[in-house]
Amino acid sequence: MSLRLKLLLLGLATLVLPWAGCRYAREMESALRQGEADSLQALSQTIATSLQGRTDLLYREAPPAPDAPAAAQTPTDPEFYRPTPYDLEPLTLPGAPLLDGYADDWPHEASAWTRFEQDEHHRFAILTGVHERMLYVLLEVHDEHPVFDAPGNSLDPGAFGDRVWLGFEDPQGVQQQFFLASTGPGAVTGRRIEIGEYGRHSARLEARIRGAWQPTADGYRIELRVPLSMVGKGFGVLVDDRDARGALPVSYGTLRADDLHTMGHLILAAPELNTYLAQFLQPGLKLSVTTPAGRVLARADALARPTGLGSEAPILARLYRRFVDRPAARSPLESVSAIYDRDHSVQIGQLEVTQTADRWIRLRDRALTHMLNFTLATSAIVVGAILAFAAWLALRLARLRRASESALTRAGLVTSFPETQARDELGDVARSFSTLLARLNEYTGYLRTLAGKLAHEIRTPLTIVRSSLDNLESEQVPPAARAYLERARQGSERLNSILVAMGAATKVEEAISSTERVSFELVPVLAAAVAAYRVGFPERSFSFDTGAASVTLSGAPDLIVQMLDKLIDNAVDFSPPGASIAVRLRLESHAAIIEVDNPGPPLPLHVEGRLFESLWQSRPGGDSRPHFGLGLYIVRLIAQFHGGEAAAYNLPDGAGVRFTVRLAR
Amino acid sequence: MKRLVAIVEDEPAIRENYAAAFAREGYAVRTYPNRRDAMQAFGARLPDLAVIDISLEDEPEGGFELCRQLRALSAELPIIFLTARDSELDAVSGLRLGADDFLTKDLSLPHLIARVNALFRRLDALRRPDAAAEVIRRGSLTLDAERMQVQWNGQVVLLSLTEFWMVHALARHPGHVRNRQQLMDAANVVLDDNTITSHVKRIRRKFQAIDAKFDALQTVYGMGYRWVE
Repeated sequence: MSLRLKLLLLGLATLVLPWAGCRYAREMESALRQGEADSLQALSQTIATSLQGRTDLLYREAPPAPDAPAAAQTPTDPEFYRPTPYDLEPLTLPGAPLLDGYADDWPHEASAWTRFEQDEHHRFAILTGVHERMLYVLLEVHDEHPVFDAPGNSLDPGAFGDRVWLGFEDPQGVQQQFFLASTGPGAVTGRRIEIGEYGRHSARLEARIRGAWQPTADGYRIELRVPLSMVGKGFGVLVDDRDARGALPVSYGTLRADDLHTMGHLILAAPELNTYLAQFLQPGLKLSVTTPAGRVLARADALARPTGLGSEAPILARLYRRFVDRPAARSPLESVSAIYDRDHSVQIGQLEVTQTADRWIRLRDRALTHMLNFTLATSAIVVGAILAFAAWLALRLARLRRASESALTRAGLVTSFPETQARDELGDVARSFSTLLARLNEYTGYLRTLAGKLAHEIRTPLTIVRSSLDNLESEQVPPAARAYLERARQGSERLNSILVAMGAATKVEEAISSTERVSFELVPVLAAAVAAYRVGFPERSFSFDTGAASVTLSGAPDLIVQMLDKLIDNAVDFSPPGASIAVRLRLESHAAIIEVDNPGPPLPLHVEGRLFESLWQSRPGGDSRPHFGLGLYIVRLIAQFHGGEAAAYNLPDGAGVRFTVRLAR
Repeated sequence: MKRLVAIVEDEPAIRENYAAAFAREGYAVRTYPNRRDAMQAFGARLPDLAVIDISLEDEPEGGFELCRQLRALSAELPIIFLTARDSELDAVSGLRLGADDFLTKDLSLPHLIARVNALFRRLDALRRPDAAAEVIRRGSLTLDAERMQVQWNGQVVLLSLTEFWMVHALARHPGHVRNRQQLMDAANVVLDDNTITSHVKRIRRKFQAIDAKFDALQTVYGMGYRWVE
């Protein structure tokens, strides 16, 4: 894995920031939600407390006014709040229904119906509603034999058909009863039975109670309205079901059958309750007051109203939200508080406060967006910076690597090393590397001169040995000792030739450095030399391809020939007898290239680049002549003197080796 | 009367070996380990020939200094440098100081003796100006083998003994190529290629000092050298 990739991965680790941000946002959301829930609880508690004992505010029917001292002492009747099957809960109607006997313009709320069932054949369902001081009633009666009144005197029992009684207590506390009777489908008006003077009964029309009577598939339907001003407390209906005109009725309903008194309550809030609740209303809140049994009295709803916390979140925020949102978090908050009477003994109602999640979701979203924007930008910057840094580092490392590689291949020529000025660890590495190479260079230099120094030091004792031998030969030596003398001489000669070879590199360097440059023709020099090799090495054949008629070089022809000598020596040594050695001269724009090809074993892989070093050789053993790996080193020195370089390759078909020397023109 | 050879050499073993060899040849030999002792003795009596090492005890260049002083005492005294140092620079310095030859210690004793004998022969020849000389003439070149003297266009070219023998070997058969080994044999020396090359260069330079157009000594690349008339 490259350094760049590693650092990139490291940089990506900063993505933990946005992740932590998301986590934090969730935590914050929970905290916000908890806080909101607490404050909502406090709010609902406050409102509930403010409503404590305010039965008058809660219930339209609650007669004891709060300021009535008598009422204040009267303990609250818990019975009042106990739900009965006869209670009616009027809906709040969005508009006044048209009194036509059809249910089309009523809200379709099955749960709002109150069903009352005497037995299988005698049952009805009633739906009540309030709109602008009017109580609307929709009554659906199941009747297998609907019977209309006979036209005429409505007080004649023989003319009685199905009748419906309405009963309630008027604001003065007097029980009022009205009946509805119809001689046919259509409009119907409530009538009150009055007992006049002498006990005369009369059925007076009450024009304020009006409605319509329509037969249905299994009975009939009555739609009617009663001004709320007439109704004080309670409201009930009683159905007189007759199977034939004038027959004895089956009476059932929410009125007591004997005196037609109401049994249930008309559960309606006091008109002020809505206003009262509205003052607590805030956008995103819903307040509702219910009876202890949970029947809604009043409701103030601002859930859908915008909370003023900015418009819909931008795309980015919506994207972020996907990572954070939990469905549960979006559900609205609810808080329920009981409303008690003055003595705090009887629950008179219940307050429900609902708040949308909108508020803190928006808060959270805003914080989340800011934070994610910030952390993502940070991550991007960090990753970018790390990438740039990695690229820079890689560049420096690559430079260092190239420098060290070239320093090694160029025979330890450390001139200037990159990065040594840098003050960081890489600079330290470069410096120590530079020092190392310099030491290596010194050492190589020492090794290079060692042979020369050694040769010089050994020369004196060798001279002692040789001059002693010379003297000994002049003496009277017994013939038996001559053989030893001869061997000693041979040994010293060999030692001497080794010394000469050891000192050769230094001598060549000296000779080269003191050589004067002349301008000379290369072709005749090479041609003469090759001609000489033909004589000198009769076991090899030589070919010379001049390549050009005239090449003028600046340098030393002697050195060029010496260099060629070494190349030819090498070629001869590594080629079998009878082999053909090719010498070629090629021209390039700024260089003359001398190539020497010889058949023979290819160069081992590891020798490349080392061939031309001093004191290095790769020869099969068994050669009696001392070799110090100087020949090709001299080739390199001479090539360098001529502004060129030397190289060796294996020939493509593996048939041999090619040495090339490039000389600057 | 025996000729007196002075050997100035700080290495006792070599000194004694050389002394023994010269004594065997019939020379009187005096040996000195350092410049001070040598100069003291030379002040009293000059030797007929001096063999000097370059580095002498505590003086690395003591031989050069001794050569200079000796040359000041006598212009004709043959002086041979014999040293373990074989650098080109040392050779040039030694010959410039007026030494007749610059030899490295690889040289065998018989070779050394031969040179010394040759130098004495030359000395003798020079002292007998009217003696019949074996003179070789090749165009502008006049080569007196007896006196070991070379003239170019009538002017004397001062050559060291090695250089003289090389020129002699080449000029005797003009046009014939002499390879390095042949030149070494002629000069009674064992030298490496580069030293021969520099000898040849030095010879050319000495001739060119007299005649800028001198090109009689030619290089035959890959083979050797030849003298062209």
